[in-house]
Amino acid sequence: MKNLIQVKKLTHIYSDNNYGIKDITFSVQSGEFIILAGKNGSGKTTLLRHLNGLLSATSGEILISNNPIEKNIVEIKKKIGMVFQDADSQIVGETVFDEVAFGPENLKWERKLINKKVESTLKLLGLTQLADRNPATLSGGEKRKLAIAGVLVMEPDVILFDEPFSNLDYPAASNLLSLITKLNKNGITIIIATHDIEKVIAKATRMIIMDDGHIKQDGVPDQLIKITEQYGIREPCSSKLNLGIINWAN
Amino acid sequence: MTPFIYKQGSSILHNLDTRYKFVIMCLISMGILKALFPALAIISIVLIAAMLSVGIKPLNSFNHIKYFLILLIFIFISRALTTPGEPLFSVFEVPVSNSGIKDGALVSIRFLIIMLLGMIFSHTTKPSSIKSAAEWFLKPIPFIPEKRASLMIGLSIRFLPLIIEQAKQVSDAQKARCSDNQKNPVRKIARLILPILKKTFQTADNLALAMESRCFSEDRTDPEFNKSGYEIISLILTILLVLILILF
Ligand SMILES: Nc1ncnc2c1ncn2[C@@H]1O[C@H](COP(=O)(O)OP(=O)(O)O)[C@@H](O)[C@H]1O
Ligand SMILES: [Mg+2]
Repeated sequence: MKNLIQVKKLTHIYSDNNYGIKDITFSVQSGEFIILAGKNGSGKTTLLRHLNGLLSATSGEILISNNPIEKNIVEIKKKIGMVFQDADSQIVGETVFDEVAFGPENLKWERKLINKKVESTLKLLGLTQLADRNPATLSGGEKRKLAIAGVLVMEPDVILFDEPFSNLDYPAASNLLSLITKLNKNGITIIIATHDIEKVIAKATRMIIMDDGHIKQDGVPDQLIKITEQYGIREPCSSKLNLGIINWAN
Repeated sequence: MTPFIYKQGSSILHNLDTRYKFVIMCLISMGILKALFPALAIISIVLIAAMLSVGIKPLNSFNHIKYFLILLIFIFISRALTTPGEPLFSVFEVPVSNSGIKDGALVSIRFLIIMLLGMIFSHTTKPSSIKSAAEWFLKPIPFIPEKRASLMIGLSIRFLPLIIEQAKQVSDAQKARCSDNQKNPVRKIARLILPILKKTFQTADNLALAMESRCFSEDRTDPEFNKSGYEIISLILTILLVLILILF
């Protein structure tokens, strides 16, 4: 395994002297499935936006495959995709098809290639039937899938998810989790930021706990699950009842 | 569903290249503005046939433009009352002339037919191809960044409904807290506008981030146009039709 992402002493101070994140150091290996856990305001979103090159650090640095992130920012955004928390405001296209084509059009791919890639991505995610639909008319789960499609079509190595399960009902959440697991099995590195670890913990290979802008714990989910509540993260019910970790999806 | 919204279909008009459809619509509109009654009868028949062929029910569609029809009646009345000419009868001492009635009818029927034309166009054309066609037409015009313009068209089509939805949510949330008690309309609007603006800016911010995260660039792949093969013949028929409209 090789170091895909290295974060070194990363600090971000927002304009009004608010600390977003402080002195973050960790690295990500290719193929990992990481939960970035933490209560609201702990700095998860800020960290993810740095990894996607949307924010620039106050101090510290990020290396992607040993190159500084600033060096080729477009290439980084293509390699490291991001699915935002609010699906409604990240969908740009007027139809499902156009939405998925948006990224490749920005990269100025040939129209033929775009059509081919969009079709295969829609097929992979089971969205082919919806290709001509207006995204506004989709269900919450379908919108989330569409947001993933828009990122996946650019063939990323890593996908960052910011609170992907918020506002999803049980079937949609479990469906989404199976999809994310499938992507991980296909070799895509996954980082999921969430305050609600119950749904994902069974699939994760690693859990990083953030609090107050710092990384407080970094380890195997099994070993951290009992101490999450001291960082304001709810321990999964099954674990509380000493039933271990229960799978939300197959 | 209103017939003004694009609906998937496989009619000739659905498949026609949007750029040709644009040109055809413009030509027919210009023809209509010059057309007199016999010509208007012809174009009405053509448009009703077109409506049937793309799956709009003509009678049903009148239901969706009833407010517009009221406007037309107003136009008709004001034309009838203000056009000078030989008085036919008078309403409250205001003389109504034969030529006034004719003129009013002509103007309102022309408006109505252009409305139907627009309805057929928007019913059969994807918003995204309208955007692409606009980009194509703007391309040769200097100093207009056509990619940016088409992006703006696309984003408005996409986000207007969302903003309206948010505005409705804000208004409902305030009604739930008895905002109806506030009688001063200025205060009422001020209370409504601020949260709506805040939400809209927030949405715009998120959108900008999401676009940036997907490598946004103005140097993008050009739009694609699909030809159905009926473009040239449609254009020729349109020109014939417009000649008939003008000459009759
Ligand atoms: N745009 C911003 N301007 C100022 N402060 C911000 C901004 N975004 C986040 N913060 C602050 O940074 C901290 C971390 O926030 P965030 O990364 O959103 O946390 P999380 O995603 O874990 O809820 C919070 O204290 C928050 O108030
Ligand atoms: Mg967050």
